[in-house]
Amino acid sequence: MSAHSPTSHAPAARRLRRGNPLGALGGLLWLLVVLVPVYWVLVTSLRSREGFFDANPLAVPSSPTLENYRLVLDHDFGRYLLNSALVTAGATLLVLAVSFLAAYAIVRGTGRLLRWTFSLFLLGLAIPLQATIIPVYYLIAKAQMYDTLAAVILPSAAFAIPLTVLILVNFLRDVPDELFESMRADGAGHWRMLWSLALPLSRPALITVTLYDALNVWNGFLFPLILTQSPDQRVLPLFVWSFQGEFTINVPAVLAAVVLSTLPVLALYAVGRRQLISGLTAGFGK
Amino acid sequence: MAGVPLRSTLAAGAVALALTVTACGSSGRTVSGGSGDGVLVWALTQGSETTFRASAKEWNKAHPDRKIDIQFFQNDPYKQKLRTAVGAGNGPVLFENWGGGGLKSYVDAGKAADLTPELEKNPRWKNRIFPSVLRSTTFDGKIYGVPANGVQPVVLYYNKQLFKKAGARPPKSWEDLLALVKTFKAEGIAPLAMGGGSKWPDLMWLEYLVDRIGGPRAFADIAAGKKGAWSAPAIRKAAGMIRQLVEAGGFAKGFTSVSADTGQAEAQLYTGKAAMLLQGSWGYGTIRTGASKFVAEGHLGWTGFPAVKGGKGDVKNVVGNPANFYSVSAQASGKEKKTAVSYLKDGVYNDSYVDNLLKGGDVPPVKNLDAELKSADNPDWLSYVYGLTRDADSFQLSWDQALDPELGDALLTHLDQLFLGKISPKQFCAQMDRAAAK
Amino acid sequence: MSAPGASGAAGSRSSGGAPFVMAAPALALFSLFALVPMAIVGYLSFTRWNGLGSPSWTGSDNWREALTSDVTRHALWLTAKFMVVSWLVQTPVSLLLGVFVAGRQRYRTLLAVVYFVPMLISAAALAIIFKNLLDPNFGLGATLGLPLLDHNWLGDPQLAFYTTVFVVAWQFVPFHTLLYQAGTRQIPASLYEAAAIDGAGRLAQFRHITLPQLRYTIVTSSTLMLVGSLTYFDVVFVLTGGGPGLATRFLPLDMYITGFQSNEMGRASAISVVLVAVGLLLSLIIVRFSGFSRMRSQQAGM
Repeated sequence: MSAHSPTSHAPAARRLRRGNPLGALGGLLWLLVVLVPVYWVLVTSLRSREGFFDANPLAVPSSPTLENYRLVLDHDFGRYLLNSALVTAGATLLVLAVSFLAAYAIVRGTGRLLRWTFSLFLLGLAIPLQATIIPVYYLIAKAQMYDTLAAVILPSAAFAIPLTVLILVNFLRDVPDELFESMRADGAGHWRMLWSLALPLSRPALITVTLYDALNVWNGFLFPLILTQSPDQRVLPLFVWSFQGEFTINVPAVLAAVVLSTLPVLALYAVGRRQLISGLTAGFGK
Repeated sequence: MAGVPLRSTLAAGAVALALTVTACGSSGRTVSGGSGDGVLVWALTQGSETTFRASAKEWNKAHPDRKIDIQFFQNDPYKQKLRTAVGAGNGPVLFENWGGGGLKSYVDAGKAADLTPELEKNPRWKNRIFPSVLRSTTFDGKIYGVPANGVQPVVLYYNKQLFKKAGARPPKSWEDLLALVKTFKAEGIAPLAMGGGSKWPDLMWLEYLVDRIGGPRAFADIAAGKKGAWSAPAIRKAAGMIRQLVEAGGFAKGFTSVSADTGQAEAQLYTGKAAMLLQGSWGYGTIRTGASKFVAEGHLGWTGFPAVKGGKGDVKNVVGNPANFYSVSAQASGKEKKTAVSYLKDGVYNDSYVDNLLKGGDVPPVKNLDAELKSADNPDWLSYVYGLTRDADSFQLSWDQALDPELGDALLTHLDQLFLGKISPKQFCAQMDRAAAK
Repeated sequence: MSAPGASGAAGSRSSGGAPFVMAAPALALFSLFALVPMAIVGYLSFTRWNGLGSPSWTGSDNWREALTSDVTRHALWLTAKFMVVSWLVQTPVSLLLGVFVAGRQRYRTLLAVVYFVPMLISAAALAIIFKNLLDPNFGLGATLGLPLLDHNWLGDPQLAFYTTVFVVAWQFVPFHTLLYQAGTRQIPASLYEAAAIDGAGRLAQFRHITLPQLRYTIVTSSTLMLVGSLTYFDVVFVLTGGGPGLATRFLPLDMYITGFQSNEMGRASAISVVLVAVGLLLSLIIVRFSGFSRMRSQQAGM
């Protein structure tokens, strides 16, 4: 589950270090496919609105301006950032708390109910969230929660449960039984074992799922689109989308909004790339 | 994350979570929400946005105890937003709409308030508005909305610079238009810009062609739900002419993916990439905002939709929207309703409101405007729109608004297919007949 | 949330396993927002509801309409096509890239770092990037004047479909590349050494060692790809809105447009049910015929 440590190093490395010109060519080609749009976004976001129309689209702007970024920041960007942070933190913490409890119970418990619950979660992996948007909207409207951040947090968390539980279950199963047994011999109950044993041991898995769930919620679009409407409750992806409508053909400004909305995740990537990657391939990467 | 003990992090997290969820939950807002304490108003971006903003500011200054809080939405997502919000019991107190079938579904669901008693109580307010305009919001003799901006006939805009360079003249007939297509294509300029990605601009072509060929009668049959009305010769022929124009390369490359919401089609016109644009009168405001110099220097031209030889429709007939309307939510509290009505009565169409509309090229459908029209800074455009509306025997409301929303949506889908050449004119008629029969 | 004190006592008293109550909050949350909605959507599919009033029972009308509608059938067919084409595009690219960046050369690691960037961008932002980049008038191709790039990417129905496939690939290839990279790095080096002694060339090694050894990764990645493209919504919604015409109106788009734009929530619910059914069916088939579950349990034991 953790980042892949280079095991059985020497011989593998020798093979893997051989040159491969064809591969390198392909690799470079894809690099271009990835970088050209990203580069275009960056240079365009630095152009003035007028400069956009007559400049060579890939040239470095002759007089770069941060005006577009200021425009975006002036449009309540801070509030949307805060909303996104609240939604992400709320949903992630919620899903972590309930999933960890459930995973512990599933691994350390025996009852038929628990086995049944686990199967249900496994089945739940196949339920597409898109297909439930109409009834979720119906429920949220009936519960008078329409247009609140909680309306986004709760369903987002609910749909993250199956995978989170699955990953945590897989991880907890690897914890040797003896550790629990010896604690139990000391008279510890399940809540204490959960808190003082399972929790500290699960740290890597928890970090992994945290990042995975957080990124998914952060970038989520459909729930906020349907379940909120006012600017007060707007999250970043929705902001970027509505900003492009408001700013007609001011492409540089729209792209500046795109850059700003991605910046927090990019920063996270710069700091914790390894955890983020293992988080994203969580449960699949083995 | 390293270094911080996991368990204390979690404990802190749990507390934060509890706080977040309760905080978010308790922020559940009622109709009166919004950033301020005012009455929430929903309106559309572009078009008359400037006027709406100015009016809200002025009103709030004069009525600190009866504020309004106005929020703006893009045209295309607006309909969905409004419906989900109103359906969830969380809609605005005042909402902009187009009247017709769309508004009727709100009326049927009991979501729009009957404004008739208020209007009857204030004859000065009611009598100032052109009665024909109120027809779009009148159901069973009750009025559910009042106009909030100007009349919106659809006209053909053109770039005078490009026309001059090509030695061309604005089209008077369909043949002229086809000839212009050739002329501009030879110059490497797109003859017609269009925001086909939004689908409803397609409709303006069909509406005008059907009118020019068959007169207002053809659509009257459709609206009456007459069987086979979509297969009438006028519709069939109009659909064929649309194909003809598309195949001749009349529309700018990629027009089917250009969104009308973002003002791109207008931009093509004023940046000299396209020569003409069929658009509602709100296009004038969009162009003025995007390229005020272009308009000020007189490079923007406009004319009516060309005639079709042998057609029954009068070339003076227009299609478009009589106006956009404000309706009041039936769910609003008594106090909110009162504020909303007083704003509609005294805020909307007061002197500065009308001035702002005129400045943006909007002609409000109210009586006794001659003096204002003359003294505005763009009298050519205003008197053109005013005259166009006045002289038209038939002012056909946009079909997607006039029909019920489901059929309107089916129409846009099928028409889009027709523009793309995915279906033939014959198939278009047959499919629409089938959709209408449902 | 549950009351830890009370149930904790119960837990320690029971001699055996952990108490069910610990799993209850997750089960409750999941049921409320995933299972209950499934029941509601089933109910709504038999009603007429325009989103404003209250749903009214209509029997099987929606089902008849949805199943006979040309548009919905087309959406179903389009979704199948999209799944297959996406798989055909993404699998070779990510497999080759994954194997390539599994090498330990520094530049390959660096490449992997950059490849990953698209995954960080939200679907909405990504779609907006490409919408502007591919704009027929003001986009990169149009302004650069390169004939190769200057096409009607999003306005031509045929092209728009493949453009969508590409944009989705742009977003998801990084993820699958990662899977393949990780998978490749787990292949025991001894296998390659033996092959090298037998004189097998690079291509032979790739065919006879790398590919077979990656079979579980291929199954995992393909499952995620197929099930994922069934429900793909965000990027397509912002990029094309399902158009031009019906060119990218996949099943989830069809559901959204039917429900939230044409205001036929009942019929849209019927489409939702189809979506769920196809998703479950697909997962079951894959699990059954690919040994995915065996692999899972194997992994769980690792």
